[in-house]
Amino acid sequence: MRADIKIKVCMGPSGIATGGADVIEAFKNEINSIGKKAIIEERCSLHQVGCLGFCAKDVLVEVVVDGKKTIYEYVKPGMVSRIVKEHILEGNPVTEWIAGEEYYNFHKKQIKVVLSNCGEIDPEDINAYLAVGGYEAARMALTLMSPEEIVEVVKSSNLRGRGGAGFPTGLKWDLSLKIKSDVKYVICNGDEGDPGAFMDRSVMEGDPHSVIEGMIICAKAIGSHQGYIYVRAEYPLAVKRLQIAINQCYEAGLLGENILGTGFDFDLKIYQGAGAFVCGEATALMRSIEGKRGMPTPKLWRSAEKGLWEKPTVLNNVETFANIPRIILKGADWYSSLGTERSGGTKVFALTGKMKNAGLIEVPLGITLREIIYDIGGGIENGRAFKAVQTGGPSGGCIPAELLDIEVDYESLALVGSIMGSGGMVVLDETDCMVDIAKFFLEFTQAESCGKCIPCRVGTKRMLEILNRITVGNAKEGDIELLEELGQDIKVTSLCGLGLTAPNPVLSTIRYFRNEYEAHIKDKKCPAAVCKDLITFSILEEFCNGCGACKRACPADAIIGKRKKIHKIDPEPCIKCGTCFDVCKFNAIMKM
Amino acid sequence: MADIVGLTIDDKEVQAPEGMNLIDAAELAGVHIPNLCYLKGMKGIGACRLCLIEIEGLKAPMIACNTKVKEGMVINTKTEKVLEIRKFVIDLILSMHPLDCMTCTKAGVCRLQQYAYDFGIKESSFTRKRFGYPADEANPFIKRDPEYCIICGKCVHICKAQGTSVLDFMGRGVEAKVITANDRPLQESGCTFCGSCVDVCPVNALLEADRWRKGREWEYEKVNSVCLLCGNGCEITVSTKEGSIQKINAGAAEGSAERYICAYGRFGFDCIEAETRLTHPMKRINGELKETTWEDALRTVADKLKRSGKDVGFISVAGIVNEDALVLKKFVKDVVKTENVNTTMSLYADSDSLRKSHTADIDDADLVFLVGLSPSQRERILPALDAAIRKKVNRGLKLVVINSSEAKIAEASTISLKGDEVSNLKAIVRVLIDKGFKADKEIESSVKDAEVSEDIEKAASLFAEAKEPLIFSSPSLFWASANISLLKGKIISVALESNARGVALMGLTTEGKTYKEMVGTAESKEQSAQSGVKVLYAVGEVPLNKRPDGIDFLIVQNSHLTELAQQADVILPSATFLESAGTIIDYMGRLKYLPQIIEPQGASKSHRDIFIHLSKIIGSPLKRPAEAEVKKATRVKTKLSFSPFVKKEGFDISPSELIDSINASVINGSRLLWLKEIERAMAV
Ligand SMILES: Cc1cc2nc3c(=O)[nH]c(=O)nc-3n(C[C@H](O)[C@H](O)[C@H](O)COP(=O)(O)O)c2cc1C
Ligand code: SF4
Ligand code: SF4
Ligand code: SF4
Ligand code: FES
Repeated sequence: MRADIKIKVCMGPSGIATGGADVIEAFKNEINSIGKKAIIEERCSLHQVGCLGFCAKDVLVEVVVDGKKTIYEYVKPGMVSRIVKEHILEGNPVTEWIAGEEYYNFHKKQIKVVLSNCGEIDPEDINAYLAVGGYEAARMALTLMSPEEIVEVVKSSNLRGRGGAGFPTGLKWDLSLKIKSDVKYVICNGDEGDPGAFMDRSVMEGDPHSVIEGMIICAKAIGSHQGYIYVRAEYPLAVKRLQIAINQCYEAGLLGENILGTGFDFDLKIYQGAGAFVCGEATALMRSIEGKRGMPTPKLWRSAEKGLWEKPTVLNNVETFANIPRIILKGADWYSSLGTERSGGTKVFALTGKMKNAGLIEVPLGITLREIIYDIGGGIENGRAFKAVQTGGPSGGCIPAELLDIEVDYESLALVGSIMGSGGMVVLDETDCMVDIAKFFLEFTQAESCGKCIPCRVGTKRMLEILNRITVGNAKEGDIELLEELGQDIKVTSLCGLGLTAPNPVLSTIRYFRNEYEAHIKDKKCPAAVCKDLITFSILEEFCNGCGACKRACPADAIIGKRKKIHKIDPEPCIKCGTCFDVCKFNAIMKM
Repeated sequence: MADIVGLTIDDKEVQAPEGMNLIDAAELAGVHIPNLCYLKGMKGIGACRLCLIEIEGLKAPMIACNTKVKEGMVINTKTEKVLEIRKFVIDLILSMHPLDCMTCTKAGVCRLQQYAYDFGIKESSFTRKRFGYPADEANPFIKRDPEYCIICGKCVHICKAQGTSVLDFMGRGVEAKVITANDRPLQESGCTFCGSCVDVCPVNALLEADRWRKGREWEYEKVNSVCLLCGNGCEITVSTKEGSIQKINAGAAEGSAERYICAYGRFGFDCIEAETRLTHPMKRINGELKETTWEDALRTVADKLKRSGKDVGFISVAGIVNEDALVLKKFVKDVVKTENVNTTMSLYADSDSLRKSHTADIDDADLVFLVGLSPSQRERILPALDAAIRKKVNRGLKLVVINSSEAKIAEASTISLKGDEVSNLKAIVRVLIDKGFKADKEIESSVKDAEVSEDIEKAASLFAEAKEPLIFSSPSLFWASANISLLKGKIISVALESNARGVALMGLTTEGKTYKEMVGTAESKEQSAQSGVKVLYAVGEVPLNKRPDGIDFLIVQNSHLTELAQQADVILPSATFLESAGTIIDYMGRLKYLPQIIEPQGASKSHRDIFIHLSKIIGSPLKRPAEAEVKKATRVKTKLSFSPFVKKEGFDISPSELIDSINASVINGSRLLWLKEIERAMAV
């Protein structure tokens, strides 16, 4: 029995958080301890792999025996010894821990292009990348293709920038190629400042070489010899793995002078950003690399003409670059056919919120929101009703249930008042208050506004004040209209994308959930029972059996009632913390 | 010349030079596009969003400050959409503003007030918010009150552009504000108190410290003049109220790189009413200086001069106006009949280099060679030149610094050539000749063994490519540097006093004893001792604290009681440059007018009036010089020819010491003294 055994433990962002490292440690120890029976140890290899894309079930462990994959979910260090004993030693997978049907459904509608290596290969080993065809595309681009040919392929692939705005990548490269200059720059935007986003991080951590390869191809296409990867300093693992990958490339002759003996030179450096959202904006990012304050500057020129240090520059997102090697290898037709007519290929999304299966997914463009949320995401947790999906992070908007059948691409999302953005997707259910959601995002943008231009600096603050007074019941008649007016004005007057899109969450929630705003203003009620100042807690007599759990838990001593008698909440001292609601086993507490 | 393009702004046809932005182009058509963050001459930064206008064919409004004119463009600056945007922006700003126009010093010239008025916005339609930030009032020059700040960023940008970089932005969102490093008071942040930020601030956030309830702009009378305190001769705008000066601002045209004045020029005017100000003539009686009448003082002096004739020596500063210089020259040569007259100019320059310098404008230059000069705002050595060059570098000027000693401004240079200046100059000429520039045999042969480095090559290439290269040279290196300007471009010998060039052109140079001989600091002791000058007549604040040995009679004619004046036999009180009219030729060769702005203090008189009086008493009356006479004296041919590559010796006075010395009364008699003390404390 000389089975080839591999154990892969998910070390992606949520994998680490849920204890992936402990699980790895446990496997190492177990295998070591049985390693005394020499045969098995030799056959095992341990991979730290990128995100397996099923965050809800972490830690995920893949055990491959004789090429046969078994996925375990919710693995804890304590479970490792049994897996090693029964599965690896005895050849009987532990059936009760194996990932269920959901895991397979989760993958069915997905197409992995950018994520194809994430979770499959060791990101810290260039040989693993080479073994799956890595740097073949770069070799082709450098040896067989002219810059014009590369640009042509990227153009006809219909690849559009994955950083948010969706600018056609081929066109961007073409503009840059046509400008004559000795010095040009290629920059990869790995700032990823949206709250809750981890798409780019997963790629940088899980498949750093694909990003580097994409950049090398871009450099060749436009004639650049210096590149930067701008990564926020809050992503130390991404920085570490990118650096390892860059070092390996220098050693392997894939970066530096005379790459692959073709005479082409390209140097690549990591620049660690301070982690401000606005630094992801193209001009602010370039100022930041130049050592200035990360503040957007008006664009008199396209970056393609005058970017970093006033030299022609191509700035693309991490995911954009990671697509490039695949497009070069498999062809523009293949890629464009994956998506829609206007947007080729696939897009990675970070599904979060009230879905059953949250996680990182990659889907072909043109898929419907319904397919994403119900088929891949498994629908809403706890059988609650779906309310809306927020796409595009703080720059995007909320899309209501009745629009679930729209196809996901740049134009159709914009048409309904949201944006594709960089791929954040937050699913909201009936327990989410739309005013509160809008406030959450606006609080974020207001705090992240660089403060340079007046509409964004002051205007978003004013909108926030109005939202605040709506959520505490102090709003005035006309506040919705004022919000709309302010939002529209900010959208035309701001200097950069941050301010230009900041009102979107507010405007889109007003557009689709105006009645919810009105309920807050006119009836002083929060229909989703989220806004504390607008809700009251009371006890339903018919359900209360006087167990006293709520009374004991209440931090404000607001609950009165004798044991075995019906309890009551005194609204005066009640601080609306909701503790009673959570502790009552009999659903006797009402929140409204 | 830039090409002209035609466009339409609010139905008006406009011809504007290519590359001009829409705010400036609209100005040509008499259309004002509201703006709060735009600094003329600098790249629009797009912060205030007030200048958004509509361009036909484009959907989104564009900012006028950062959009360039294009042939056939059709622009509308007053559409409904644009007006709504402006109103919205003003409304937002007002929601963060104190709105206390009734007591605000800036009322009347506040841009925000003006725009609020234009839009009829009395109160913001949003809830008002104040931060309660404290004001920085810890210095006597500039009050910084962040409560009023609208974060237009002008102060930050001007401060950075001129190279002082004291101010910067901090914080995000509404919390964003303008601060100094670590939010320290200005005097602890490397601030030079030039007040450029005060000049650009559109609101009341940056203001002269002493302005509270001292009158508002509409109460002032404004007069343009020139600062005579140093070699830059900056243009200033003086505001007066009821015959006294309230403030001084930079006076050069908006958008010009020369729009700058230093703390001396801006705040030194306090000295006009200093305790040391001389308001009466004085005379030594029984060893003690006593006030006396003009009549008596002048008679005493006239008597002395008449009797002493050739034994009289005149020394003067070179910061006197042309008219004073002309009269002084005639007074010395025709009335007193001596050859002994010389100015402080001789301490740092040969008059020929000044006479032969070109006339230029730094705003036109695209390349500057700075030879042997170390301008510095911090040390106040030609601070305005330092600021202008740095601003121009920001706008694309190339700078080559050629200096054997450390020059701070080299940090702004494209190329900095250290080491012996003369060798470097030679090497540059050599490369230029190799590049095909035509030169005399003499030049060719004198540079043929010059050593050429990579940097020299680069500097020469920059020179060869430049359209309007301009050389600023220290006088000692003028003749060596001038050899480059024989190939192309212009050259200026940069003096340390405001009218050194004028004084040279008026011919106020000695044919007798030198300045150093007369004051006893000549290289050889014998020379000084044998100068034979017995009566010394000192005009202006000469850098001399001790009455020279061998002087029997000392006449000091100055506005303030200096240490030297205290040792005088007669003191004649003179008017300051703000109290008398005249002209100067600034270092760039431009004739500049100084009107009389206020009445002279007490009984003080202009230098020329004093000489004319004296001439009458002596019996050969002089007339006030006619305008034509000054003009005629300024007309010189600047035909240069080859001169050997050598550095002229003898001009080794420390520039900063000289400038502080000739301005000692200005500094000690004004709030500048506070600054000097702070600077001294910081230095230890
Ligand atoms: C406020 C703001 C934040 C942004 N943050 C990011 C980011 O984190 N990552 C990114 O790739 N693009 C970000 N962008 C978009 C970039 O400006 C730019 O469009 C993008 O990097 C271009 O790459 P692409 O064409 O490949 O999308 C941001 C834009 C704005 C306005
Ligand atoms: S829109 Fe906001 S983030 Fe962008 S420049 Fe203006 S203030 Fe800064
Ligand atoms: S202090 Fe004045 S100039 Fe500076 S940012 Fe504030 S308002 Fe603008
Ligand atoms: S730089 Fe010289 S001339 Fe200009 S303001 Fe200062 S002292 Fe006066
Ligand atoms: S003047 Fe153009 S944005 Fe302020």
